Amino acid sequence: MKMKSLLQVVATGAAVALFVLPAAASEVRLTGSGASFPAPIYTTWFKQFTRANKGIQVNYQAKGSGAGIRDFMNHTVDFAASDAAMKDEEIAKVAEGVQLLPMTAGEIVLAYNLDGVKGLNLPRSVYPGIFLGKIKKWNDPAIVAANPGVTLPDEEITVVTRADSSGTTFVFTKHLCAISPDFESGPGTGKTVNWPSEAKMVKAPKNDGVTATIKQTPGAIGYIEYGFARMSKLEMASLENKEGHFVAPGLEGGQAALANAVIPENMIVWLPDPAGVDSYPMATYTWMMFYKKYDSPEKAEALRKMVIYCLDEGQKIADKAGYIPLPANVVEKVRAASANIQ
Amino acid sequence: MKNSSNETFHLPKLERQPFEPRALKSIVLSSITILSAVFACVPLFSVLIMLIYRGGKRLSFELFYALPPTAFETGGGFGNAILGTLFMVGLAALISVPFGILAAIYLAELGKYNKVAQIARFCAKTMTGLPSILAGVFAYAAVVLIMRNYSAWAGGIALSLLMIPVVMLTAEEAIKMVPQAMKDAAFGMGCTQTQSLVKVILPVAMPGLITGVVLAVARAAGETAPLLFTALFSDYWLRVNEPTASLAVLIYNYSGMPFENQIELAWAASLILVLMVFILNIISRAIGGKKRI
Repeated sequence: MKMKSLLQVVATGAAVALFVLPAAASEVRLTGSGASFPAPIYTTWFKQFTRANKGIQVNYQAKGSGAGIRDFMNHTVDFAASDAAMKDEEIAKVAEGVQLLPMTAGEIVLAYNLDGVKGLNLPRSVYPGIFLGKIKKWNDPAIVAANPGVTLPDEEITVVTRADSSGTTFVFTKHLCAISPDFESGPGTGKTVNWPSEAKMVKAPKNDGVTATIKQTPGAIGYIEYGFARMSKLEMASLENKEGHFVAPGLEGGQAALANAVIPENMIVWLPDPAGVDSYPMATYTWMMFYKKYDSPEKAEALRKMVIYCLDEGQKIADKAGYIPLPANVVEKVRAASANIQ
Repeated sequence: MKNSSNETFHLPKLERQPFEPRALKSIVLSSITILSAVFACVPLFSVLIMLIYRGGKRLSFELFYALPPTAFETGGGFGNAILGTLFMVGLAALISVPFGILAAIYLAELGKYNKVAQIARFCAKTMTGLPSILAGVFAYAAVVLIMRNYSAWAGGIALSLLMIPVVMLTAEEAIKMVPQAMKDAAFGMGCTQTQSLVKVILPVAMPGLITGVVLAVARAAGETAPLLFTALFSDYWLRVNEPTASLAVLIYNYSGMPFENQIELAWAASLILVLMVFILNIISRAIGGKKRI
């Protein structure tokens, strides 16, 4: 009768597993999913918040902004995150109402993998061309002209883009459209776009996938969040801003760019091409999405508490993690708007 | 009448000569089969060596009790993912083993040639080729969207969809292998059908049944795609109604990360997953290998 004993083993195993679960009737457990751009800082915040608050547990899974919005609209999560905010049509489909809150900001950098080449300058006439597949070689005259004294290899450029529906792609393509008419009439703006087939292109999922691919591919360039590039020690290009200055990504350039933005009532603002000599050209807020009405008041309260924690405690680690702390006036606006989560 | 003893017969040499054509042919063909057999083991061993080399470095007790680290943390482990994998695979086995074996009894014994059995067999064979991601999508639509929650239940159900056909088809084969003489003998001694099934056929088929279950469990333990849609992942300990961590998804998530600590954990998790399947294999052989009637 060994079948019986095998079943017994399986059943006891399952029972033990169930038994291990702490009985937790009074706990509020929150699940969120979405953007990978802020995922390193979000997961750190939520882990610290969970540690600091007995009885609340926040679990965040990075899937890409597009997947987060889909989860949010399917009600399979309690909140979601997106760098592309949410479209009005999408908001209209959520019966409970949607409250978007910018929680942190970041910069999209062009990280590259070229042996011995540091601090590459990329003019705004050049980097859209790379992603359009018009500039194919690292020693293209346009790149060489902007980098006197730098020896660039006669190597093909491998462009790394996102494979999934991505808010990072949305912000990046929005910027490219703002500075390049060719890009606007070509791929255009979106969470996914049709990248031109002329470029030698590799696709990878999420910010971490793109980062890892750049790291493993000599001659690669790709767009990722600043923190990912810094932590994985990838070289980042200085980009030419609206005023014609080359600005390296970093806290100062990002803050200068954000200073251009005024947050409106719906909390959604874009900076496709910020003004100012010190501004880094690709900075963006990134949002969390909440329902305005939750079934359980405890859940809504826990979420409000979480938002306040991210605003007060969370912003302190933003710089260290490679993000831009929210400006003080934005923090107050978000604090006020968090009361709409009921 | 001639005397045959006077004639000389041409008798081929019966001893094998090293360079005659048939010997050469035999040597060549045998060595090809040996080489192929060795070659088939190369991927397994190179994977194992790589895993032990890359994953072994991180092997420590912390792996089993700590929670996964975030991007900025060092150390950490994946105790929750081990527990999650055990729970979801266990749940999947709990669903698919009784289901699969009962169905196999019908296919192999009771309804051998009738339409229902034929259709069921065809469906099961088709299901074994089902891309695992579809099992995930199915469970997403059937469980996650309805419960409005990612959960360990949904993950277990998705995995059971992949296990049922494997258990069912291998169990059918195992039951078919039971010698007809034994079945006849059982009936001859006055056994009822139930008695012959429970006391003769199933015990004799047991090693085969267990092999099938182990194969199915091993397959389920390593599946990532169905869990991405159903159990998602969690940075916390197992709660069956909540998103649940699993080793497979941890490996998938962390292997693509640019952070050294998480990549190392992915290697260690791969090693642990392989060891878990390996140990299960050994245990089941020890249980199922003994002869019994």
